[in-house]
Amino acid sequence: MKTIQVTVNGKHYTRDVVESRTLLRFLREDLGLTGTKEGCGAGECGACTVFFDGRTVNACMVLAAEADGRTVETIEGEAKDGKLSVIQEAFHMHHAVQCGFCTSGMILSTRELLHSNPKPTVEEIKDGLEGNFCRCTGYQQIIEAILDASGQPVGEGGLKHA
Amino acid sequence: MLQEFRYAAPKSRSELLGLLAEHGAKAKVLAGGTDLLVNIRSGTIKPELVIDLKRFEDAGALTWDPAEGLVVGPATTINDLLRDPRVRRDFPLLAVCAHDLASYQIRNRATVIGNVVNASPCSDMAPGLLCLGARAVVTSVRGSRSVPFTDFFTGVKKTVLAADEIVERIVVPAASVGTRGEYRKLKRITGHDLGIVGVAVARQNGSVKIGVSSAAPVPVLVAGLKDSNTVDEAVAATLKAVSPISDIRCTKEYRLFMVETFVRRLWEETK
Repeated sequence: MKTIQVTVNGKHYTRDVVESRTLLRFLREDLGLTGTKEGCGAGECGACTVFFDGRTVNACMVLAAEADGRTVETIEGEAKDGKLSVIQEAFHMHHAVQCGFCTSGMILSTRELLHSNPKPTVEEIKDGLEGNFCRCTGYQQIIEAILDASGQPVGEGGLKHA
Repeated sequence: MLQEFRYAAPKSRSELLGLLAEHGAKAKVLAGGTDLLVNIRSGTIKPELVIDLKRFEDAGALTWDPAEGLVVGPATTINDLLRDPRVRRDFPLLAVCAHDLASYQIRNRATVIGNVVNASPCSDMAPGLLCLGARAVVTSVRGSRSVPFTDFFTGVKKTVLAADEIVERIVVPAASVGTRGEYRKLKRITGHDLGIVGVAVARQNGSVKIGVSSAAPVPVLVAGLKDSNTVDEAVAATLKAVSPISDIRCTKEYRLFMVETFVRRLWEETK
């Protein structure tokens, strides 16, 4: 066991963890933050995307022990004071959610993308979200939501009529 | 669930090397973890001790030394490389290789050195590093040695590293600044995927080098070509240097065909 101190969504936690525990299991099972999902467990699908010291990572491939002294942000920190973020609103508006399993990762990857590139093109959106798989909604509504969230007219790139 | 292991995060290089000397092959070094933790999960490897190298001083440094060149530290991530203006300006071939490696989140964690130390034949960084004449500085408690990447890989997932050694840094020589190059990778999908074959072509001062991944047990360098060579000569030299196999991703014949195709395309594109 190892004692770690970690800040998750602005809240400070001190916990004992087994060395082999992943950050994903720690978030879901030790902290009860089940918004972060486990898909493939091998860095393919992006369902477990979280912010780790300000950058997106696959939480299935990070050890909880590595988070000692670090900052983590999950989907539970996206809405502030009960109010959805602009990205969440846009996903809602554009029906970018069907089963919802990929949505947490999609939204956090979108936040990272818009942080470095506030007005991404459709190609840049595809590139920025290449590590997040959706298996049911289809990507079109997700791309539309991201265009809208970044203040760009939806339909650019022929999406509306594709 | 991951099998049990102990975890250490040494605060200094000497402490890390000491742990590695003590535990040898029973220990594994953790950098980005994007291969290591997947391999532990699948049971492919069963380390007793995982040594995190990201906490020691300057582990993530990416610096420029006018005498040596670009110096890449052991915790420098693929995205650190891509975000570096000097890399984009002076080592564009490295940036192209880096951008084709896995997905954005993985590039935030995966390290440049991890990508070569794992010695996968499909390493995306190896073709670029080989073309630019890069070398690894290999260190243990016994001392340091410099190994050019042409001598670094010894087989599928095998390198010259002894159990107590790490690659402390990669040096991309200052003399390679100004190299023009491109990297093309055949994948099953447009998004992130392991390479089926990868080809880099680099030109500098009349000389041409070709780096190839996924077409032999180790990443391959074809050196000694010149601008004055014909594309047929470049293709012949490359096909002579590679020895692909048929596997789960494609056949040997398709790999040979695509190596030739990429050499032909990039030979023209880089002129």
